Amino acid sequence: MRAGKLLRLARGNLVRELPALAVSAGGVALGIGCLVFFLALGVGLQGVVNDVFPVSTREVEVVVPQMALGNLLGEQKLDDAMVDRLRKLRGVSAAYPKMSLRIPAVTRYNGLFFGREIHMGLEIVATGLMPELVGADAHAPFQDEGPGKPIPAVVNRRLIELYNKVFAPQRGLPQLTDSMLIGFQIPIELGRSYVAGKTLPNMLEGSLQLVGFSDRATLAGVSLPLAVVKRVNQHFGAEADSYSSVLLRAHNADDVSEVAAGVKKLGLEIDETERSRALQIGAAVELVTLALSLLAGLITCLAAVNTMQAFYASVRERTREIGVLRAVGATRSDVAAVVLAEAAATGLAGGIVGVVLARVVGLLLDRLSRTGLPDFPFKPQTFFHFEAAQVALGIAVALLASLLGAFLPARAAARLDPAKALSES
Amino acid sequence: MSEPAIALRRVTKRYPPREPGAQPQELLCAVDLEVQRGEFVAVEGQSGSGKSTLLHLMGGLDREFEGEVRVLGCDLRALSDVELAALRHTQIGFIFQSFNLLPALTALENVLLPDFFGNGVPDADRRAREALQRVGLEDKANARPSALSGGEKQRVAIARALLARPPLLLADEPTGNLDARTGEGVIALFRELHQDGMTLLIVTHEARVSHAASRVLVLRDGTLFPDDAAHSMETR
Repeated sequence: MRAGKLLRLARGNLVRELPALAVSAGGVALGIGCLVFFLALGVGLQGVVNDVFPVSTREVEVVVPQMALGNLLGEQKLDDAMVDRLRKLRGVSAAYPKMSLRIPAVTRYNGLFFGREIHMGLEIVATGLMPELVGADAHAPFQDEGPGKPIPAVVNRRLIELYNKVFAPQRGLPQLTDSMLIGFQIPIELGRSYVAGKTLPNMLEGSLQLVGFSDRATLAGVSLPLAVVKRVNQHFGAEADSYSSVLLRAHNADDVSEVAAGVKKLGLEIDETERSRALQIGAAVELVTLALSLLAGLITCLAAVNTMQAFYASVRERTREIGVLRAVGATRSDVAAVVLAEAAATGLAGGIVGVVLARVVGLLLDRLSRTGLPDFPFKPQTFFHFEAAQVALGIAVALLASLLGAFLPARAAARLDPAKALSES
Repeated sequence: MSEPAIALRRVTKRYPPREPGAQPQELLCAVDLEVQRGEFVAVEGQSGSGKSTLLHLMGGLDREFEGEVRVLGCDLRALSDVELAALRHTQIGFIFQSFNLLPALTALENVLLPDFFGNGVPDADRRAREALQRVGLEDKANARPSALSGGEKQRVAIARALLARPPLLLADEPTGNLDARTGEGVIALFRELHQDGMTLLIVTHEARVSHAASRVLVLRDGTLFPDDAAHSMETR
């Protein structure tokens, strides 16, 4: 039986059975709508998590183990020799050492801050980064210009979000953008602490100049050129030959496990604090998405059962017609194909309606979030990420559910004895 | 001499007992019948005498019987389900008392129904329109069955049976639901088909249909009798 003729025959029955089949299609639409909605929500929330905790699948942060025996003996160090060894590990494409500013530093700002008079004193935590790591995120040279010159600094992009959504509204300060802040200078006193209430000998005074925002910058503090941090640490007699951590970039994500194994062989370990936090939140989102998708799957299963009942009723009502089809030359499989074609059409309609329903509800909720929810850090423009794969999956599941639901009725229709079917009153 | 269009040898049909422990109900008892190609045979009988069952057996719609049924040279018991469907599709036209049109399809689509199955019917659309013209319903091609009278429905059903131009037409009480005038029209159509060389076997309890046939048989107590023998039995 050719597809065109099959559809022509099924179409007539669908029109006639529309009210009953609309209920079945509605059930499928509800299940598929929930499935696509929850999948899109899961992917959307995962995107939010990735924005808040950006984790590269190709990179690992190497640190000295806190409890290493060699460390206690003063042997285990992340010095230049070790960085070279790390760089030569199989699978590593680049190594970027980082160094903490190992002396206290403060800033004291008194004056106009974008139209507001502020008086501020803050402890500064700083980390030195290689210019290559910051790359194009710095809008001015990210290097040591020498003593007495403003020190270029980059700040983590997430800090400006926290400032705008939490700090600024509470203190009545203006909202800031990247472009407003780049080039802004604040004074810095190196070798001084307000908290400890002490000032180191040979304290240095200078200024920090913001040259960019970068996801590479430390979240807790500011990031300075590595050479500046080395010079300042040396100036105060602090450790300047060993690094606090080294960022290793693998050639590709598949090499990361091999790189991690090499790192462990060198007696070092991978700092997974931020990575594991992101992974945990991501896993929680995945788990909730999975649970909700299972719920949607359950609704779709119930819709399949409803489809089965509707098609059983339809086959019972059309017993005589099925006998006629057999009399004019239909085989058992032709009869089953007619019923399954009707089920496929029902499932397809339910799937399309479900996908549209999910999209519309997603748009409405996003709109509600934009207008009804207070602004909070990292509040996304949308909580949903609809993909073609979800649409395809939704429609495929709808088709499958309807075909499975109609399978037994189709088999029953195919097995009808034509003589008995024609004798049905 | 060519093989008969229909040949039944000692065909027995039993229905399972209605109550546990009872005897199976025997509707046809060792029936023998030969219908030659081009013959117009009417089978008369009371309601419930087994006429429709006989028709279903000859049409390959009922395969649970004892004996041998050969239609157009094919032993129906030896055919697979698909082969039987192909035989019905190309060689046998069915007409039913209650028309059995599909309500969701138009008159033309109902006539085209055999074209939906198997390898279809060559030049089906033209043939369907010709068949509708032959039964005088060319202007009702797009009407749904609900918009047709009983006579019109039956004529659509006849057009459907003629679509594949089968050599054998089996009709079950074709005038049973029609008024006298409409019934006459249908009978006239059967005469035409017979004159065209088609083999017709019609089960009926109406004398007007039997009068049109070239041979009349009577089904009584599960056995087929020639019409005159049946009358003589009644006389005795």
